[in-house]
Amino acid sequence: MNTTIIKEGLDICIPGTAERRVSDMRLTGCFAVKPTDYVGIKPRLLVAEGDPVLAGTPLFEDKGNAAARFTSPVSGTVKAVVRGDKRALLSVVVEADNEQKSIQFSTSASTADKLRKTMIESGLWTMLRQRPFGIIPQADAKPKAVFISAFDSSPLPVDIPFMLDGREQDFQAGIDILHTIAGTVHLSLQGGKDNGFLEKVQNVEIHHFQGPHPAGLTGTQIARIDPINKGETVWTINAQDVATIGQLFNTGHYCPQRMVALCGPVVGNPQYYRTLSGASVAELTKQTTFKELHEPLSDFRLISGNVLSGTAIAKDGFISAECDKVSVIPEGNYYDFMGWLRPNFRKFSLSRTFLSGVLSKFKIQNSKLDFDTCKHGSDRPLFVTGEFEKLVPLDIYPMQLIKACIVGDIELMENLGIYEVEPEDLALCEFADTSKTEIQAIIRNGLEKIRKELGL
Amino acid sequence: MILRDFFDKLKPNFSKGGRFEKLSSTFEAFESFAFTPNTVTGGKVGAAYKGSHIRDAVDLKRTIITVVIALLPALLFGMWNIGHQTATYYGLDWGFWHQWWFGFLRMLPIIVVCYIVGLGIEFLFAEIRHEEVSEGFIGTGLIISMIVPVTVPLWQLALAVAFAVVIGKEVFGGSGYNFLNPALVARAFLFFSYPSHMSGDSVWVAAPFHFTGDVVTGATPLGLLSGGASIYNSQFTIHNLFIGTIPGSTCETSVIAILLGALLLLATGIASWRIMLSVVLGGGLMGLLFNAIGANEYMQVPFYYHFLMGGFAFGCVFMATDPVTAAQTNCGKWIYGFLIGAFAVLLRVLNPAYPEGMMLAILLMNCFSPLIDHCVVARNIKRRQKRWATAERRTA
Repeated sequence: MNTTIIKEGLDICIPGTAERRVSDMRLTGCFAVKPTDYVGIKPRLLVAEGDPVLAGTPLFEDKGNAAARFTSPVSGTVKAVVRGDKRALLSVVVEADNEQKSIQFSTSASTADKLRKTMIESGLWTMLRQRPFGIIPQADAKPKAVFISAFDSSPLPVDIPFMLDGREQDFQAGIDILHTIAGTVHLSLQGGKDNGFLEKVQNVEIHHFQGPHPAGLTGTQIARIDPINKGETVWTINAQDVATIGQLFNTGHYCPQRMVALCGPVVGNPQYYRTLSGASVAELTKQTTFKELHEPLSDFRLISGNVLSGTAIAKDGFISAECDKVSVIPEGNYYDFMGWLRPNFRKFSLSRTFLSGVLSKFKIQNSKLDFDTCKHGSDRPLFVTGEFEKLVPLDIYPMQLIKACIVGDIELMENLGIYEVEPEDLALCEFADTSKTEIQAIIRNGLEKIRKELGL
Repeated sequence: MILRDFFDKLKPNFSKGGRFEKLSSTFEAFESFAFTPNTVTGGKVGAAYKGSHIRDAVDLKRTIITVVIALLPALLFGMWNIGHQTATYYGLDWGFWHQWWFGFLRMLPIIVVCYIVGLGIEFLFAEIRHEEVSEGFIGTGLIISMIVPVTVPLWQLALAVAFAVVIGKEVFGGSGYNFLNPALVARAFLFFSYPSHMSGDSVWVAAPFHFTGDVVTGATPLGLLSGGASIYNSQFTIHNLFIGTIPGSTCETSVIAILLGALLLLATGIASWRIMLSVVLGGGLMGLLFNAIGANEYMQVPFYYHFLMGGFAFGCVFMATDPVTAAQTNCGKWIYGFLIGAFAVLLRVLNPAYPEGMMLAILLMNCFSPLIDHCVVARNIKRRQKRWATAERRTA
């Protein structure tokens, strides 16, 4: 068994990782599907408020990509169509009727084309992501390979083999479908760990990765297994969604089951919850208590996804499409007196200008490090060099790529390897940057500029 | 907290629509000096935001203040050495504190002029551009005051600082966008505009206050060598050069004090060890090469003397390592540093018109660092394009 060791990167140890304990959520209340979770789609609404829907009923579709049909995760009635500025569709909210009736999809399909058709009709297709650009693939897209990561290395990591426990057959069926429609499937597991049934999955090439974050990101894994060249595309998909695909073809029912970890330093009992995609976060937070915040902290932030590249959601919001954890950290909207001068034991820093940073260099970890959303400084032009290289295990020059994105030089971006990254791959750079630059947004803008130029 | 309340009370006046709206950058500079701002990732609490929600605690203020702290040993030693040189050359019987106090009084106006002129221009540009005041000059200003002769006329210094900040930095967009080290731009401005006040033997030792007699001259080792003289059998023993009890620019003579600063910069990871090491390697190898040729007195100077004389150590630790103007790639840093060291020694030995080769070597390599990076990155690009071509052949 070959294990690829990743050297560059950083594990940020935030307290409050989910314990291996699962509660089943009742499928009541509201669920939402949000166009804003996807890159570059122009939604066309297919339902109106008050319409009855089944699980698998299309709610809206993408004007630019007929394969992107977004379906209701539950049966019930459309409760709200939420719009934002310029009437942009923000979300379609469905109130569940607690019966979870699904459209019966054809499972007899055997050819790749028929399988694709069923996936598109049921909304499963929207679970696929095509790199470069992180978009939903077209119906006839032929990727070089499919990459699945069953290894979460991000802060507050979830245990993906544990989350898939009990869905062995669905997962295998999902892999088989992907293998039929797309060819090679790569499954990356965490090395040196018991991955349960995942080690024995058929029809995939299994790889093992070990090392700090971003070892678990598909971007890192693709670069080591089979890097993306100009003109090539690969697909990625969340491991839980693979099981959902298999489940549909095993049962004929659309049921985007999702295990979600509610975790973070302020969560009273961090653990897993079994619910559906698009679940209301309020239902989740009702299940737990929150630790009392002390001065100067007064509020906390809910993040759908990990703290490095997730999406902030309102306390009455909904988890986003690819979410497998909701991270909760305190808001850091406080002033810090002479913050630039004090030695500081409790703030996490890679820089050894903080005593906490010095101690961690000597492997003395302070278990009471404070993590919050404070920016700890003001925005500046990119200034310090040499910070990023230690954090990016890709064969790219992060600083130069970021600058190419800022100036919007497409040829330079291509040459510097923009096709090999998604914003999340450079999330650690954004975390570490002394100048507080929003690097992920810059990378996304660069990618979007190229995508529009190519007319995708 | 009283100070916080004070700022909160004043803030509306300086915000948009307030009475002193035009001074908002100035207010922000003072407020963020006292308090690290309360901004959160994503702009404000409750904003829709996708990205990194947590940030490293370090910011540019912290980085710059670490550099300033690293400068302190050299600064404090330099103050004492100014008094010490005056006492030695003028035959005065001053105690330690008297010497230090004299140096402090001579340094104070230099530092004050640097900061008032430099920061004044920085604040002005920030207000005009509606930007925050960058802290970069806190380090630069102090460095300028430490690399000029103690006798520098203050009006010349003021002009040089203004030139460095405006032409060296602000016209390119401010801190972070400049391609030349602003402190060295100021030094070069003085050197080329007022050579008689910046070189020779009469500028390195300050006369005591109220002194009316003839100015005593004190040569620097570089001055002696470039004049063809020998530095042996003089006060310039290895010991003195290392400790720094010799005439020279205000605060760059003491190698040991500079090493203390270097230690802090390396321990905190603020300065690049690659650059520092490669500057020393480049200088050392060039020195050895000259030793091997040995055609004249200067070439025969043992190579390690170059580390101890003039601004080599100071430039290596505090100026070559400026991240904005240095090469940015790790491989580029090696090349950049090595060439600085090599050129510094080359200029010293072969061009007696420019006794201080370090300043020119760093400025020269500042100009070339983008090219070095370009070449380093080009290798990465070539590798990638080769991979693309192979993939294309495979599918074809």
